[in-house]
Amino acid sequence: MAGVIECAGLTKYYGKTRGVEGLTLEVPQGSVYGFLGPNGAGKTTTIRCLLGILRPTAGEARLLGQRVVLDGARLRARVGYVPGEIHLFEKETGRWHIDYVSRLRKAPPSAAQELVERLDFDPSRKVKELSKGNKQKLALILGLMHAPEVLILDEPTSGLDPLNQETVFHIIEERVKEGATVFLSSHVLSEVERVCDRVGIIREGRLAAEESVRDLLGKRLRELTVTFAEPVEPGFFEGVAGLTRLEQRGPETFSARVKGDHLDEVVKRLATKRVADLSIQHASLEEVFMEFYRSEDGGTALPADAGAEGGAEA
Amino acid sequence: MSWTVIRASLWQRRTSLAWYLGGLAFYSWLMVWYWPSIGGSQYKELVESLPPEMLKMFGGTVVSFGTIGGFFQIEYLGLMWMLIVLSAAFIYASRAFAGEIADGTMELTLAQPISRATLAVSRVAGLVIISAALSLTTFGTLQLFGAAYDVKIAAESLCQLIGLGALFILAGGGVCMLVSACVRGGGKAGGIAAGLFALMWASDIVANVSDVADFFGPVNLVSKWQPGVIMDGGSVEPATWWLYGIVALVSLVASVAIFTRRDAA
Repeated sequence: MAGVIECAGLTKYYGKTRGVEGLTLEVPQGSVYGFLGPNGAGKTTTIRCLLGILRPTAGEARLLGQRVVLDGARLRARVGYVPGEIHLFEKETGRWHIDYVSRLRKAPPSAAQELVERLDFDPSRKVKELSKGNKQKLALILGLMHAPEVLILDEPTSGLDPLNQETVFHIIEERVKEGATVFLSSHVLSEVERVCDRVGIIREGRLAAEESVRDLLGKRLRELTVTFAEPVEPGFFEGVAGLTRLEQRGPETFSARVKGDHLDEVVKRLATKRVADLSIQHASLEEVFMEFYRSEDGGTALPADAGAEGGAEA
Repeated sequence: MSWTVIRASLWQRRTSLAWYLGGLAFYSWLMVWYWPSIGGSQYKELVESLPPEMLKMFGGTVVSFGTIGGFFQIEYLGLMWMLIVLSAAFIYASRAFAGEIADGTMELTLAQPISRATLAVSRVAGLVIISAALSLTTFGTLQLFGAAYDVKIAAESLCQLIGLGALFILAGGGVCMLVSACVRGGGKAGGIAAGLFALMWASDIVANVSDVADFFGPVNLVSKWQPGVIMDGGSVEPATWWLYGIVALVSLVASVAIFTRRDAA
């Protein structure tokens, strides 16, 4: 293996409870890997194994070519981490946290002031006085302020307003341009589309699928809800390809999922009637994966390369 | 060892530590102020009228009740002081590992380039500082305020009291830190350690009437704590120093070893 972030048969059990099982993945230098999955799938467990906070039951995690061990202090000097659940010292200020992390890293926070300004964060306030969004900003500042080579970001824009989300995307893109490698856990399709090169989905502790964002975009899935100005017959969408879960919710209202490149066809059919309201939203990446990889018996049919890279067979 | 971790650990406990240190100083003043009005033969008669089991509850029967050492052991240093200093040490030690893991703040620290061993040793160093501060405050203020009320402790006895007091707190805190390194949740760690010490105390009392209850035997940290003997100019057995020293050393070394190998989330 030669990636900056690697997991090889990574397995973690908490007693008899499964965290992750046989997880194998590789993130090359300078790329952004989107790591997706429902709650309890094993995302945070994987991240904690990568940081040496948890000891794997079997397999190994590697960062920057070195095996991650519980005591691997030097390795963590090159990694920035933004946790999914922010736990900070409630009685202390943002400035205290910045100083604390800087002292532990024995390095001045080269980008702290810039991040404080760009995220419009007030470091003089105590953590207990901060909103969820401001705590998220502080976690981002702490994770990014030393310009690390590897960024491990667990839901980095959670709780942020759209303007700050945009700022975070810019910062991630800038860091990638500077050569950083990013491991990003997210549920938001637009976020992953925007910054990730490759996406893996973890389900029940196993890598269920792995694909490039370019390929995934070809399979774009949308949630459609339409209300017509007048009642429409139930067979209105007959013959339109790429529609799933079609449901008539009333005489005028339909909802459905539109797969891949069939949106044009759907819009043309809609245009034959007077539309009173229309909503088209991107489905979450997880739903996209599940829609495309769910086999007829309810299991998951993996794409061709997922078995080789994903460890789902373990 | 990381000074940053030591400083941050103590800073996190600043409010409770300030109250504990201030409270001990106040209690010391109260006791030295109280001594001239009730101490001596009058006090001895009063205390000796109590059943021995009750006396044991308040700090043992090793010392003579008519002396300064006897008075302070029964009224202050025997039971109340143990409760105060052990709770202060337990608050710190229970949070050192188990509490921070449960709160999630351990993750913030462990995501930084600091080894587990360095972090754990620094937390131990924090406990050493707290133990020394609590002991120094107790006996230092006894001596300081005592000058105004005719309560004098010889310099050698004072050094012994400060040293043995710090070692006792360190042993108690060390036991709690060991539990903290093994479990998740500061409340659980503190509760287990407090329960263990309550059991030692109960065993010490009941052993007065039944040897069967003396199941901690020579390793009962509570029954070995006899500061009154030192205040009266005597010395505790060397075995007491050894016991506290060994318990502190073993529990703290074990807590560091366990923390470096455990999951921290």
